[in-house]
Amino acid sequence: MSSPATTITLANDLAEIPRLAEAVEAFCEPFEPSMKDILGLQLALEELITNIINYGYPDGQPHTFTVDLSAPAADRIRAVITDDAIAYDPLARAEVDVTLPLDERPIGGLGVHLVKKLMDVSHYERRDGKNILTIERRLNRPE
Amino acid sequence: MDIIESQLNSATVLALSGRLDGLASPALDQKIDALVASGVRTVVFDCSALAYVSSAGLRSFLTSAKKLKNANGKAAFAALSPSVKEVFELSGFLTVLEVHPTTASAAA
Repeated sequence: MSSPATTITLANDLAEIPRLAEAVEAFCEPFEPSMKDILGLQLALEELITNIINYGYPDGQPHTFTVDLSAPAADRIRAVITDDAIAYDPLARAEVDVTLPLDERPIGGLGVHLVKKLMDVSHYERRDGKNILTIERRLNRPE
Repeated sequence: MDIIESQLNSATVLALSGRLDGLASPALDQKIDALVASGVRTVVFDCSALAYVSSAGLRSFLTSAKKLKNANGKAAFAALSPSVKEVFELSGFLTVLEVHPTTASAAA
């Protein structure tokens, strides 16, 4: 049996966040993930597509991009986001200091930090005029 | 996400349920602005039914805490689910924000 895979096409609209979250949950379910696995994958994808939706298409026009979900192993879920937005590697963003007190905390910058913490793999490449972001999470990973 | 408002002692309790994502967080920002404008100074976020929070939601929480602090008030966060608690922990929010095990202790 070939391993399952699905492609979700998204518009550059924040209203797509819940739809993607539902698709992630439906795709993961047969692999018996923990609640933390599902929420972690949903969160990482929300962070990454939000960057694309908010900053990737400065022309303000409707665009679409894709998220490919697959399971390279029975205990791994992979998501690949492919967009033709402006070239941008979110993973290259400087690490945030999560120890700063309330008054000194910058608003923002946490999204990519959470992606790196919640995913076992996060990888960016620019190829053929496209941004290709790959993330993977091992299911039911030890705490 | 649903927001249900109630009073406990001198605190305004906001019971959040569902998902605080980038689509839902502006509603929370508006709610806090309205409360602060109406004179509310102590807000307890009851997170017992909050299943999910993303960085957009964290940003709303942080902004809420700053706004209340600047108004000589405070924000407290209560009854985090394990998933939400993990996100707080990874973000350093367990030390930056006032987090309580229960709504009752947060409003005490």
